[in-house]
Amino acid sequence: MPLWFARGLRRGIVTTRYPARPDSSAAGLPTPPAFRAGMLDHRLADLLVTVCPSRALRRDGGVLLFDVGRCTACGRCQEAAPGAVAPSGEFELAGTSRADFVKKIELGPEAGQ
Amino acid sequence: MSAEEALAGQLRQRVARQFGRSLHIRTLDTGSCAVCEQEIRLLGAPHYDLHRLGFFFTPAPRHADLLMVTGPMIRAFGVAARKTYQAMPGPKLVVATGACALGGVYQPDAFVHGAVDEILPVDVWIPGCPPSPLALLQGLLVAVDRLAGKVSGLTFAAGEAPQ
Amino acid sequence: MTTLQPRPGAAASLLGAIGGAAPREGGGVVTVPVPAAQLETAVHHLAAAGARLADLFAADGDQVTLRLVWGLDSERQYLVTETPIDAPEYPPLSDIAPAAFTEECEIYEQFGVRPAGGKPLNRVALPPGAGPDLRGVPGGRPPGPALPRLGHQPPEAPGEVHAPHTVGGQAFEFPFGPVRQAGVESLYYGLVTSGEEIVDLYLFTWHKHRGLEWRLRGRRPAEAMFLAERAEGLSATAVTWALAAAVESALGVQPTPGALLTRGIALELERLYNHAAAMAALCQSTGLSVGQAAAEIALERLLRLNATTFGHRYLFGVLDPGGVRRAPDQAALRDGLPGAYGELRRAADALLATNSFMDRLEATGIVSTEQARRLGLVGPVARAAGVPIDCRLDQPTGPYAAHPPALAVRDAGDVLARFRVMLDEAADSVRLIGDLLDAGPEAGTAGLPGGGGSGLGWAESPRGEALAWVSLDDGGRITRARLRPASVRNWRGFDDAARSQNVFTDIPIIEASFWLTVAGTAR
Repeated sequence: MPLWFARGLRRGIVTTRYPARPDSSAAGLPTPPAFRAGMLDHRLADLLVTVCPSRALRRDGGVLLFDVGRCTACGRCQEAAPGAVAPSGEFELAGTSRADFVKKIELGPEAGQ
Repeated sequence: MSAEEALAGQLRQRVARQFGRSLHIRTLDTGSCAVCEQEIRLLGAPHYDLHRLGFFFTPAPRHADLLMVTGPMIRAFGVAARKTYQAMPGPKLVVATGACALGGVYQPDAFVHGAVDEILPVDVWIPGCPPSPLALLQGLLVAVDRLAGKVSGLTFAAGEAPQ
Repeated sequence: MTTLQPRPGAAASLLGAIGGAAPREGGGVVTVPVPAAQLETAVHHLAAAGARLADLFAADGDQVTLRLVWGLDSERQYLVTETPIDAPEYPPLSDIAPAAFTEECEIYEQFGVRPAGGKPLNRVALPPGAGPDLRGVPGGRPPGPALPRLGHQPPEAPGEVHAPHTVGGQAFEFPFGPVRQAGVESLYYGLVTSGEEIVDLYLFTWHKHRGLEWRLRGRRPAEAMFLAERAEGLSATAVTWALAAAVESALGVQPTPGALLTRGIALELERLYNHAAAMAALCQSTGLSVGQAAAEIALERLLRLNATTFGHRYLFGVLDPGGVRRAPDQAALRDGLPGAYGELRRAADALLATNSFMDRLEATGIVSTEQARRLGLVGPVARAAGVPIDCRLDQPTGPYAAHPPALAVRDAGDVLARFRVMLDEAADSVRLIGDLLDAGPEAGTAGLPGGGGSGLGWAESPRGEALAWVSLDDGGRITRARLRPASVRNWRGFDDAARSQNVFTDIPIIEASFWLTVAGTAR
């Protein structure tokens, strides 16, 4: 046991200071997407809806509904529309109201208009 | 705000202060792929150490204040889930953890309910697949009112000024 | 160490024994149609020749087709026998190959066909009450909520088979779970005990059954990968590799060499973090908190290495049918791997020098060589019991033909042997990752051609051989996907290992040394 104790002291502290200080390891994590509203038209939005494997996206008229709760940060929507979708960088996503997780993104005009 | 609502708010604050000092967590797996469980186990690891925040895991629902639920709530599991929730004495919190528990990944069908809030009353939702231990810590702190939730203020629209 | 080597040309001699069938060959797999009447002969023949029964599953169509996957490990091949079954019964197989029992139960539940002989079968994936409608039967009952099956409902509900209690005459049985201690998966098992000693232990898995094989029907292969990752998330790379390889075999596609190297790196990283996690679980089960903390530090560093290399802590989203979606961040991997593995190595060395820990592991949870072969166990569990199988060596695909791993085999079959095998494998994985990095991994996906077909794919997950078989229709959609993560095979071994002269406090230790998941078998 003294062997373990000495080993532990030599190792030092690896514990994160979160939430008092931000943790740099968060930078490497996958995060839900952020959408550039003006660059998404109805056609592209419909494509993203079919591409999402977790049913996090739905189009309601001229609005793209994004359910952050269902998002798995898989990146398929970003691959399908790289200019219009980028990682949000947000990982502190817990919330106390389920409705807070459904985000509305105003879409550009319908293609062809 | 009525007198009742004010009282309920005060009670919630008292409870949150108590929970914030020492919170006992019971985990419940309703059909996850085992990765969320691995992230939850890492909360006790030296890198994250939930003990420093006053949180502890407990194997007994009788000692638990908070139920951390993963998985899409498989229908065959419903009885076990309800029994675990009922075995916990009040006041108690339920945290739905991971995309499966929030309705993603699996569509509701004959095998799964699809989301934990179909069966249990959920207080905090933590997205992610899996939610990293940092996200889990944030979720637990939001559950005990030590951190304010951020997600309501996020728009997930790129190209706007940061909140 | 006695080994049973399959005689060369087992496939050819099988064809000689049953006569007449025209086999199909491709991609290291020989497929032999076997008529139902000759199935028993064929199974006898293959079992006697030392072939390993790797899987048994059925598919629906005009008739139920039974497929048996045999590992011809010394011939570097898999043999698949296909048998159409047009009667409700087929020849009993688990008498000849006990490894097949769980799969026979599964086939009965999903397709309604059972082995002849009337032996009772267990309920496996579907919960009580999902059964057939027995309203017309005396003592029968209406069914619970209807649950979809891959084929037809069985005519009668499966019974329950439990081993007889034979210790001192007095033993009692109690169910344990499914909600267990904090941070572990739900697991429901029946424990038969005479007090302290374990007489028998049998698992139920229907509380975690998500019906993944049923969900995959009608999907395109690329969509199917998302769900296949989550069949057994801790083996995400291995299961998706097996499924992708099955699709590629069905469509005649070969990923680029660079993509195959990337797959190899991801699989070895997966092996590393799983073995670190198993080590942490072993320390937790023996109550050595300091060792657990040391192992968890190594595990966390390995997971962060996964995140910086492939963008996800658990390597989700790396593979695609036809190739890989992401290339590894080579600089980050070269930078971070020595430090992360160094943590693991130092913790392991300290554990191997801690006698109180080693004493708990020695002679605990013994799986004999004969048991391991009889039950068709795979992975470190089998290798620690003296069965030298590793599908990276026996059926090398992808990068492993040019970069073979070293085989880590021990004899004792106890928890300590499994621990040592995992440590040897971890060291070898680090070496392999270095070699694969030097060979130039890349991203890239070969496009999938149209049309259909069927194929078998495999990969060596951290728990053992993961198999997948897929059948695609002409539109390229899945008509039947069979996922067989290693956990499906190895939980049988857990029953046997727990039974061999162990006490209650040994169960978590044995469970940690097997390092299986319930999700993988209940998928």
